[in-house]
Amino acid sequence: MKKIFHLLISGWVLYSPILSNASLIEEKKCAACHRLSKIENEKKGPDLFYAGNKFQSAWLEEYLQNPVILRRTGTINNPYFLKGELQNLRQHPILNKNDAVNITQELMAITLPGFPEEKMNPLTKGQIAKTKYQFERTFGCISCHQSLNLAGKPRGGISGPSLVNAGNRLKKNWVANWLKNPKIFSDKSRMPIYKMDDETRLRFTQFIMTFKKENLR
Amino acid sequence: MLIIGISGCGEKKTEKTSTPKPPLKTESQSLQLKEESVSEPVFVTEKTRKTYQWYCAQCHGIEGKGNGVNAKFLTVPPRDHTKAEYLETRTDEQFFEAIKFGGLSVGRAPCMPAWGNTLNDFTIHELVRYIRELCQCEAL
Repeated sequence: MKKIFHLLISGWVLYSPILSNASLIEEKKCAACHRLSKIENEKKGPDLFYAGNKFQSAWLEEYLQNPVILRRTGTINNPYFLKGELQNLRQHPILNKNDAVNITQELMAITLPGFPEEKMNPLTKGQIAKTKYQFERTFGCISCHQSLNLAGKPRGGISGPSLVNAGNRLKKNWVANWLKNPKIFSDKSRMPIYKMDDETRLRFTQFIMTFKKENLR
Repeated sequence: MLIIGISGCGEKKTEKTSTPKPPLKTESQSLQLKEESVSEPVFVTEKTRKTYQWYCAQCHGIEGKGNGVNAKFLTVPPRDHTKAEYLETRTDEQFFEAIKFGGLSVGRAPCMPAWGNTLNDFTIHELVRYIRELCQCEAL
């Protein structure tokens, strides 16, 4: 009897958080729009099967309570993607704080394994200037992604996700790995594949992480 | 985003028609500098059109008129692929290089990135043919 009691208690301790969070994700029907595993068919919302690798939890909690449009053309599977900005875009459901916190915790636990932290040094002013030049001119990132210009104003195309607040939204290690091999995360992308050398890739990562909405003027 | 032969974002450069120039130091290691020889004839297929819609139409527009969703946010407008007047002054090799190595490689818009790590040479040749179909023109 004592053994059974211990078994029940340890089972509850081990599994109850997962079950309760999973049920909330289920309750909110997140999987109706988002893939929670790579083997699922494509869905209209961004993939979440690597949400824990990609998003900063503070940003995600805030986003779920106050959703903002990150991609003015919608995601790449939006049938109206090429037909103009803000057409038929559906606003993400708004969650209360408690649900946002709980779902964020669950999403942070959904990760792909095998991405050790890469060491990156802060950029010097010279490196920032060089990377900005390459970001805009050598690699043409600005053609599809909004970022901040020197005056702190948004500038750039809209077919890719806005990077204006990338430094608060994305995890540095995810950006570095996306630039290294985007196919790990997505078989389909409209972005060119860049085979950057490691120095350039990590410098770009650090540069992208400098984009923060608090720098908007 | 296949901006073919237009002036640089915010600057105009002189024409360059010489041998392919690797656009990026960082990418030159991974891109082949010479295009692969294409032994089989190149035709525009449904797959070519889909490739154009998937990648190029973001800037060049669904019909190739240079009015894609990104167009109005670019410093230099994307090339209108239906305008024969300009495109007939460009060679197929110049188109190929611009797509594979990016706009800067042919002295044109830096807004046009290099697609050489994304698309293979044969697909790029198909896209060149498709642009010729859109402009209904050939190199003079």
